[in-house]
This record gives sequence, structure tokens and C-alpha cells, in this order.
Amino acid sequence: MSLRRSFTNRPIASLQPTGAMMLTAYVVLCFASIVSLTPFLYILSTSIKETNSLFTYPPDWIPASIYWGNFQKLFGETNFARWTLNTLFIGIAITLLKLIIDAMAAFALAKLEFFGKNLISVALLLAVAVPVAALVVPLFFIIRSMGLLNSYWALILPALTNPLGILMLRSFIVSLPADLDHSARLDGASEWQVFSQMTLPLIRPGLVVHAIFTFMLQYTSFLWPLVAIQSDKKQVLTVGISSLKSNFVVDWGLISAASLLATIPITLLFLALQKYFLSQNMSGAIKG
Amino acid sequence: MLSTTEHRKLRLKARIRQNLTAYAFLAPALIFFVLFLAWPVVALLIQSFQTGGIMSPAKYVGLENWRQTFTDPLVVKSIRNTVVYSLMAIPAVFIIAMILALSLNTVRFGQNTFKTIIYYPTLQPILLAALMFTFVLHQDFGILNIILRAITGEPVNFLGNRNLALPTIAMVEVWKGAGFWTLLFLAGIQSLPRDLYHAAELDGAGPGRRFFQLTLPLLKPTFFFSFIFATIVNLQIFDSVFVLTDGGPVNATVTTTWYIYRSLFTFNEPGYGATLSFVLVILVLALTAVQTILFRERR
Repeated sequence: MSLRRSFTNRPIASLQPTGAMMLTAYVVLCFASIVSLTPFLYILSTSIKETNSLFTYPPDWIPASIYWGNFQKLFGETNFARWTLNTLFIGIAITLLKLIIDAMAAFALAKLEFFGKNLISVALLLAVAVPVAALVVPLFFIIRSMGLLNSYWALILPALTNPLGILMLRSFIVSLPADLDHSARLDGASEWQVFSQMTLPLIRPGLVVHAIFTFMLQYTSFLWPLVAIQSDKKQVLTVGISSLKSNFVVDWGLISAASLLATIPITLLFLALQKYFLSQNMSGAIKG
Repeated sequence: MLSTTEHRKLRLKARIRQNLTAYAFLAPALIFFVLFLAWPVVALLIQSFQTGGIMSPAKYVGLENWRQTFTDPLVVKSIRNTVVYSLMAIPAVFIIAMILALSLNTVRFGQNTFKTIIYYPTLQPILLAALMFTFVLHQDFGILNIILRAITGEPVNFLGNRNLALPTIAMVEVWKGAGFWTLLFLAGIQSLPRDLYHAAELDGAGPGRRFFQLTLPLLKPTFFFSFIFATIVNLQIFDSVFVLTDGGPVNATVTTTWYIYRSLFTFNEPGYGATLSFVLVILVLALTAVQTILFRERR
């Protein structure tokens, strides 16, 4: 009995943290929270102030009256709305396309036998370690020779490549019981039916994680759009906002307003799918 | 009954069909993989032996780019800065994330709220994080400088100082990245078997010893993944450099990817960029291989 109890996973009283440890932990976490959130609160404060009032010292943290000029200028004089729509459109297009492409490839690698399977698996694994930033020079010439520079396709096509998604979905599919699809095949189901009607519904959590991961990767990308897109109207949010800084006299109020609004789409996505973000499915799946 | 040859024929047919099916599933992914990943790596090597290509057709120049790459002080500096940056950013973010993960593991109330807040900066693009950091670092209205002025009376020019610029760029990565690694380490800690801790506790091991002799060694698989992933990502550092310092002051923050970008659009010498890119690919692959071997041996 006593032996059995010592092997249970229930915490025993003496392993509980002491009061001092608990206090330290809270102090550390409160400090970290302040450091995490302060920049966001500060750009909120600067976005509703006139830029030249930023240079007064000591600063007034909460302005007496709200100044909307930065936001008016953002929507009136820059392509901010276009950048946002472009980013969302390209992000969603890539996510949907990549979800299908990667799920199909992952299914073949996990469930089918074919010539060259090991070679392809090793190639995908190696490719994960290829730094994509190192590929911008050849990609620039490839996309240019296809006549796609400065088009949405220039952003969409190369983004469909990242092999991490295939490996992640494969680990989800491998963990499914094999009996299920064996019996489906015996009942005369084609591989496509096994894939679309059995495998896909069973790996839904994996698909959600894959979709979040793909969308985030696209939403945060900067170098490739900077290289591939010249027209301001076709530009994505990250590059668009950074271009606000290149004026001779930097309009900090405008930049803070843009930065603040740029956090909104991803924050909404986070709030909607918080469980998936915080469960660390994402990195856990990549690891596996 | 089927004869042996007929049997063999049928089996061959079945196998061919199986292969066709599998490759039909793989085709879209393989096409994109070859076109936009495998071929560009090969193209890097080809372009490293060429000059021009943007305005004029590319010309073969032999080993000229390679000679240039290893003698150009700016290239050497860019590699050095990239490595130094990674050596600052990765340990710093890992240590801070470990402290935060242990703290989250200790507290009983508000764990989810703290998790959400600490994770929040991780959601933002690194470019946005860097841009927001100008509001932390700016000499006149940066919040850190407002605090420093209140304490010491002197603002610090973080990005204009040759010795401070690169650590400051690393600071952005730490601020943005800490939440991601915290949650990863926390998940690792929480998946460890409690029995071992009870046993260690009964043997009289205090919290410090339990951490160094149990938690850290047991988290080796997590660290393995983390080091490789962090190395691959951090050696490509570009966005924050581009928006905060653009390589300055006096080339103190010139990084490999910054140089590759400039080779294309400012220097008009994609051959240099391709050469340096190839070096970067080899560097990352080699480091990944070394890390894999090291972690395997110590297991």
C-alpha cells in the first residue's frame, strides 16, 4: 500500500514549493508581464498623441485628449488598408493550398509504400535545416524568369515549399491506428477515399496546428516580400510598415498607430484559437 | 491457379499502381519542393561562379566571387556579427525562458493569465517587435531611456553605439522569443515523471539539486530540438537589423542576410550574395549536424 502510494503521480505535500519560492515566482512573472506588455501600451499611448508632443520630458503617459490624426493619416495617405488586406489574402491562400498539398504528401509518406520513400524522407528532413534567407538570390531570379516578380504569385508559390508542415502532419498520421484504413481498403475504398474521408477528419487537431503555423509564418515574413514586391499597392503589412520609417523626417506617431493596428489581426486569431497556441502542440508536433 | 509468371506479372502491376498512387499524392509537394527549394540550392552554387545577372546577362567568372568573399572584410565581419549575435541571443533567451518556465510551474493561481501575457510578444512579426523597440530605445522618447534619464540623468544611444548596437538587436529577439521558449520548456518540465522527483526528495535532494541533476538532464530532448531550431532561425537574422540600424553604426550590425540582401539591391552583385548564401547554408547544415552528434553522444 505504502509502496503503491509512492508511485502515484499525486504531488506529496513536501514537494510543494515553499512560500518564499512561490513569492519569488510571482515577482518574476509580474516583472516579465510588465516587460512583455509595456511596449504595446506605450505605442497605444503614442499613437493617440501628436508626434512633436513625444519629445516633451517628462512625457504625459495618458494624453488629456485623444488625437486621431495619426490614424487619419494612416488610412488617408498610406496604403495601410491595402497592405493589411494583401497580407490576409496571401496568408489565407497559402494556408489553404499548403494544407492540402502537405496533407496529401504526408499521407503518402505515412501510409503508402513506394520506391524512393526513404530518399524523399531524408531530403525533407535535410531541407528543414536549409536557411530560407539564403535562398532569396536564386529565388529572385527564378521568379523573375517566370515573369512573376511584383505579383501575388511571387509571394504564394515559394511559400508552399516549407517541408516542416509535411513532417508534422506525417507524425500525426503515423500515430493513427493502421487497422482502420486496412479495413476500409478491404471494403473497397480507394486511397483517395481513405485519405479524404478517414485520415483528414482524424487529424483535425494537426491540421489546425499546421494552419496556424503556416499563417503565422506568412504573416511574419519580411525579407522575401521586400525582395519580390516593388509596388506599394501589392505590398504586405510588415514591409509596408517598415517603409513608413524610410521618410527623411520619421513620423513616429504614424508608425506607432500602424504598429498598433498591425497587432490586431494576429491577436484576434490568437484569442480565437488560444488553446492551440498555448498547448504547445505546435512545437511538440514539429519535434515529433 | 495462377502460374508463377502470371503471379509475378500481377504483383508487378500492383506495385506499379501503388507507386503511381503514392506519387500522385506526392506530386504537388514534390514539384514545389524541387522548384523552390532543391533547385535554388543548386542555383546558389552556379551563381557563385557568376557575375552580373540583374541588368546584364550573367557571366562566368570562375572562383572570383569565392576569392572576394573570403577577403572582403565586410563579409568576414557579417559572418562574425551573425555568430556573435546568436551566441548572445540564444543563451540569453534560453536562460530567461527557463526561469520563467520554472516560475510558471511553481505558481498555483493565474498560471494561464501569465502564460498568455508572456506569450503575447511571440505572436508579433520580428519586424514589428523591432519597430516597437524604437519606442523603447529612442534617445528622446524611448521608454527605457525615460527610465534611465530618471535614474542616471543620461540617455543611452543604444543603436548609435558601436558596442551596444548588436546586443540591443539581440535584446529584441529575447523580448520577442522568450514566450515561445518558456511555453516549450514548461511543457517539457510538466511532462517529466513525478516519481523521480519524489525519490530524489526522499534521498534528500533540495530544489537546486533536483533542478540541475534531474530536470536539466531529463529535458535533453527538448533542448536538442530547441538549440537546432534556434540556431537555424537566429543565423538568418535580418528584419530587426534592417529596420533598426541597417547595418550601422560603422558596420557594427552587418549580418550575413543583410549582406545577401544588399548584394542584390545595392551592390548589384548577386554573385557575392549567392556565394555568401552558400556559405550560410553549409554553416547551418554543419552546425545542425554537429549538434545532432553531440546530443547523441552524451545521451
